[in-house]
Amino acid sequence: MSSEKILIIGGGPAGLEAARSIADLGGDAVLVEKRERLGGTPDSEGYAKLTHHWLDASEVLGKLAAAVTSGKGVDVKTKSEVKKISGSAGSFKVEIDASGKAESLEVGAVVVATGFQHFDPGRATQYYNYYSFPDVITLTDLEKMLKENKVVRPSDGQTPKKIAFIQCVGSRDRQVGNEYCSKVCCGVASKQAVELREQISDSKVFIFYIDMRMYGYWEPQIYWQAQEKYNVNYVKGVISEVLQKGNQLLIRGEDTTMSRPMEVTMDLVVLSVGMEPSAGTRSVAQLLGVQQNKYGFIEAGGATGIDPVGTSQAGIFVAGAASGPSDLDDSFAQGGLAAARALASVRRVIA
Amino acid sequence: MTTTIEEILERKSHAVMRDPKLAHTHDIHESLLELEAKGEIILQRVPEPYAEVMTKYGRTKKIPFEHTWHHKSCGQCGHIPGYTSSIFWLNRQFKFDYLDPTDQTSCTGWNYYASATSNKSAQATVMARNFATAYQAGYYPLIHCGTSFGHYKEMRELIVHHKEVRDDVRRILDKLGKPLVIPEEIVHYSEWVHVMRNRFAERKVLDLSSITATVHPACHYHKVVAEDAIYDPDIYGGQRMATVTATLKALGINVADYSTWFDCCGFGFRHILVERDFTRSFAVQRKIETMKKEVNSDLVVTHDTGCVTTLDKSQFSGRAHNYKVGIPVLSDAQVTALALGAHPFRVVQFHWHSTDWRPFLEKLGIDWQKYWDEFQGDLEAIRAGTKSGVTWADADQPVSYR
Repeated sequence: MSSEKILIIGGGPAGLEAARSIADLGGDAVLVEKRERLGGTPDSEGYAKLTHHWLDASEVLGKLAAAVTSGKGVDVKTKSEVKKISGSAGSFKVEIDASGKAESLEVGAVVVATGFQHFDPGRATQYYNYYSFPDVITLTDLEKMLKENKVVRPSDGQTPKKIAFIQCVGSRDRQVGNEYCSKVCCGVASKQAVELREQISDSKVFIFYIDMRMYGYWEPQIYWQAQEKYNVNYVKGVISEVLQKGNQLLIRGEDTTMSRPMEVTMDLVVLSVGMEPSAGTRSVAQLLGVQQNKYGFIEAGGATGIDPVGTSQAGIFVAGAASGPSDLDDSFAQGGLAAARALASVRRVIA
Repeated sequence: MTTTIEEILERKSHAVMRDPKLAHTHDIHESLLELEAKGEIILQRVPEPYAEVMTKYGRTKKIPFEHTWHHKSCGQCGHIPGYTSSIFWLNRQFKFDYLDPTDQTSCTGWNYYASATSNKSAQATVMARNFATAYQAGYYPLIHCGTSFGHYKEMRELIVHHKEVRDDVRRILDKLGKPLVIPEEIVHYSEWVHVMRNRFAERKVLDLSSITATVHPACHYHKVVAEDAIYDPDIYGGQRMATVTATLKALGINVADYSTWFDCCGFGFRHILVERDFTRSFAVQRKIETMKKEVNSDLVVTHDTGCVTTLDKSQFSGRAHNYKVGIPVLSDAQVTALALGAHPFRVVQFHWHSTDWRPFLEKLGIDWQKYWDEFQGDLEAIRAGTKSGVTWADADQPVSYR
């Protein structure tokens, strides 16, 4: 029997936007989220300001979650996971573990919004010594400290004065198998560099990069500001290794502008870790039988090959970072589009 | 409530657990099984008994304990023969079945890495001929040399992924009357030492707790076809290869970290041939001096022919320029053999090493002069014609160092 209900898997930015859009369009959705809280990785990782117009992350996602939970049309199930799915477009049978209780659902379409996880810098880039040195941290580690307005060196609690960002850690890297650009790290690192300069006025901040990929309006909003107003130093060159030197970190690499090798000491090194498919994205893709690309993300394109939310299975749509690195604009836009496509597909079947 | 800093430090305290399902490289075992199913190759299985260990991306590798065909190293046999004899001596202590073949050829890997190779089919056939020889003898290849080990891993990729090379190799082997055999695992001797380490530790006769050692990981072991190297969450949190370091720790040696551990020893294949001064400078200034300055190491331990030779002999060259760092360099097999009571000269053969090893032996309380005199006695007997050479009958029995 056909159903107009739409299952949304994942309660991050894309899933929440899909849920809100379905409700706004008069549809009926059930949102299944593994975590206790809605908001996805930006919430669970404690993001501070978003590169998206420098808005407060918890405020933006809080408003979105509130719109979904307080309005009509969306049944939100947190601490829940999809366990089994069968059927086809228009009539899927779904079994859910809802907070330890088994439930069955009938839905007409599925939106997968299971997102990403940050690259673990210990997986292969052992020369950055993330697990060896306390003062080598990641963007997400720094984000939490920025949110608390208390950036210190984990080793001794001192305020760092010289801070380096290393770009493309786990992105654009054949050695670790992630050949793609993660899209957001240049913007996030530059945003954090500005915040560092605001919070520690006597700090010197360096960003070591392959090339800065400041999409769209990030160029004037973040990149130029970082350089012209906040004196953030951008150095074109790949860092080859991070070593301990006394109580500082020595970074070795190449300054390609000056065509020479360099060694510089820093108080804190921040690894700009890229995006990988979340464990949820990998397992849900397998469960649904949708095609994944070689990196484990869900292959988007649909029947036409250019549908950004279509998958290899009719009636199953994908939104946000589950299909590849996405910023918040992408995720919201895809969430809304997936909602429209899913709703149209079930209504077409019913009509 | 935990603070952000506590959270960060807690996360860093965990070992990296690798899931083979997430490995970004193809599992060569699957391709080998496919080729075997098509009848294209003979896949030689690792003989029992074997140990299973974890490699870089979480896959499992089988390491045989015995029935091994010892693929020796040109450089070890030529420059540091105590390296080879220590490996055999350790096998003999456990009465393991092994074969020291006389029909093995050089891998020609140095040529390959120094950009002086002939052609890919010839290069791959050298490996295939040695593997076929081991198979026909009924033993499993154990590769002594890091260069050969790295080179064979690359040649295996070449044969597996390129049908035209496979066909060429088969044609040449046909002329030699040999089948195309690829072992299920390409095993380096240091992996055998690694899986044997706890059994070795049970038999050690030396207290090594006063020794601080630094480990040089061989590039051809952990950088070339990197996924084939052994990793262990208990060794540097699974961030670095486990071989050598795990062995030394099992023997009770204090392993110290130093900042240039990831660097090449200086050998560099091409460099040692065409820029030897660079090799010597790199080995002494970048590696040995750093170890001495940062952790005052008593001993450098590594697991490859080129690395032992370069790190040791370069110190001799450095003396011409008043570099007097002087850290002896041994292989893991030699240190292990010494720990189990191998004769310092009949087996470990310190006299082939150019950096002064006497302070190291004295720190361990070993009266090296006594064993040197014994060895000199062997030589006198050989000169006098009463002895044909030093044999296992002279060397098998462990010494007590008392």
